[in-house]
Amino acid sequence: MANPWPTAQAEVISESPLAIKNPKTWSHYHTYGGWGKFFQGLQQKKLLATRCTNAACGEKSLWLPPRCECVDCWHPTEWIEAPQSGEIVTWSLVKYPGELFRLPADTTLISVELEGVCTKLMSWLKDGKAEIGMKVKAVFNTDAPTNTILDLAWVPA
Amino acid sequence: MIRFGPGNLRIPKFERPVYVVAGGMTDFRKKYPEKNTCELVTEATRMAFEENDLKVSAEELRREVNWCVYSQFADHFGDQLLAASKVHDYLGFDPLGNIEVKTGGATGGSSVLAAAQAVASGYASCVPVVGWERMDEVPTKVGNSYIASAACKDFESELGWMYAAYYALMAQRYQYENEVPRETLAKIAIKNHGYARFSPYSQNPGEYTVEDVLNNDIVSDPLSVLECCVMSVGAATLVLADEETAYRLSDNPMKLSAICGGTHTLRTADRRNMPILLLPNETEETYKEYFNGRRHEWPGFSSFLASRMAAYLAYNMAGIHDPVEDFDILETHDAFTISDIQTYEDIGLRPYGRGREFIESGEAYHGAKLPTNMSGGLIGSMHAVGATGIFQIIELLWQLQGKWDKYHADPEIWTKYGKKKPDDFKSLQVDGCKKGCAISHAGTGSHVTCAVLEKP
Repeated sequence: MANPWPTAQAEVISESPLAIKNPKTWSHYHTYGGWGKFFQGLQQKKLLATRCTNAACGEKSLWLPPRCECVDCWHPTEWIEAPQSGEIVTWSLVKYPGELFRLPADTTLISVELEGVCTKLMSWLKDGKAEIGMKVKAVFNTDAPTNTILDLAWVPA
Repeated sequence: MIRFGPGNLRIPKFERPVYVVAGGMTDFRKKYPEKNTCELVTEATRMAFEENDLKVSAEELRREVNWCVYSQFADHFGDQLLAASKVHDYLGFDPLGNIEVKTGGATGGSSVLAAAQAVASGYASCVPVVGWERMDEVPTKVGNSYIASAACKDFESELGWMYAAYYALMAQRYQYENEVPRETLAKIAIKNHGYARFSPYSQNPGEYTVEDVLNNDIVSDPLSVLECCVMSVGAATLVLADEETAYRLSDNPMKLSAICGGTHTLRTADRRNMPILLLPNETEETYKEYFNGRRHEWPGFSSFLASRMAAYLAYNMAGIHDPVEDFDILETHDAFTISDIQTYEDIGLRPYGRGREFIESGEAYHGAKLPTNMSGGLIGSMHAVGATGIFQIIELLWQLQGKWDKYHADPEIWTKYGKKKPDDFKSLQVDGCKKGCAISHAGTGSHVTCAVLEKP
């Protein structure tokens, strides 16, 4: 018996020029690898940063986002808790976020400077109106975690 | 890397001169369902081969080609991996070798760099660089998610899925440190939408006032819709050759005296404080007072180290001392008004903290000191990402050849794209144009190339 024709109907968007709809609905399996400790740390209300363990390396700041290897010497790093309060370096109210954004429009994105950390962590402000220089403290989404960077947010200190 | 070793800042060198011979492009549109990608690419390439007053026929030029470089930013958008192979076949270049380049928004510039390296090393003598992007298969909101896949997906993309937001973060900080009047930023948008009115290829031309720009919908505070680049479909092709081949093909090839690349961290957050890398027109004295007040870090959120690095290498390679004095024309990657001001500083048009003066002085306009983005740029004309860096150098080529009018003023070109040439059309040919510069830029400054094209 001959094989049947495919049953799924390709939706025609336009006849001239002929254009059809190609649906895609699968998920990606994404590993955080060694960085997973940071996301698991958020569930314990810890802000886990990394620091180079190589005595000969000059880079001794905390890094957040963390790195399992030092950017300057590629030696392993160690995990150290970063301070949970800091200062807003910059901010923006997002009016038209992209399709995959899990928070509503008008969410305030912020970059936060923390004592001893050489980077400026990007995050979001859960409450209050942002200003550069404003003191903020970390809050953690532990009730229904997304296991993404969104599980960390900040509120006025 | 925040401390440089002796090899890190080596000035690049071409083993033999590299020339740009010809260029071609499609028009650019938000949606282009009438033509598939292969057809668009062929249209741009045919224009480069057939409509550049070359001394050889298109068929003879095809027989000169010995290497191809393809430029497409995002497989996501085209939904076709290895699209270069499909395009290469469609153009009839098999079995010649090719390579596809990907460096985000700077893909076009990096592709020209890769082609120049092939010619300069002697690997190839005639190289088409073919770029395109097809951004109309998904709705704009999904398109913004795709583009934000080019941020760090572990620590950044989830925060907005929107690149304009990442630039808005830089804009807020830049404004806090430098307090540029919003009117100055609006002027960049007005200028580029305005020049786009005189290009038949442009997607988003318009006559706007400062109020129009400032009262427009905000995408991410403070950037309004009119201050952001377009999302386009279209293609562009440039032909590079060595000196002997270039003069056999054309009486009027232009010399690519430098094209160099720089990079910086994909995450803006990870940019460590470091000493300013000085351009030839700066000294330590230039920045004696810089770190007073609200500026206490470089590059921070206000500057692009990648742009500075690319300009540092290209200026030293091409013997540029003062870009405003030495260049006659400039194409910047004006993805957003704020990043244009940042770039003016990174490429030395003004010292850090004073970028606004380049617009406020009037120097950036046609007929002034350094006309910038006569093409209409990314805000007014196009950002079909893989084509963009190539498009910029084509516009420079035609300006340097004195052929801007040929490719923009002919009413038939306007008709071909279903447009009407404006009644108040103005030629944007820059008189006496001898040396130009183009900046191609990715991410929040993850990759940048700086090209110097000049009359030999």
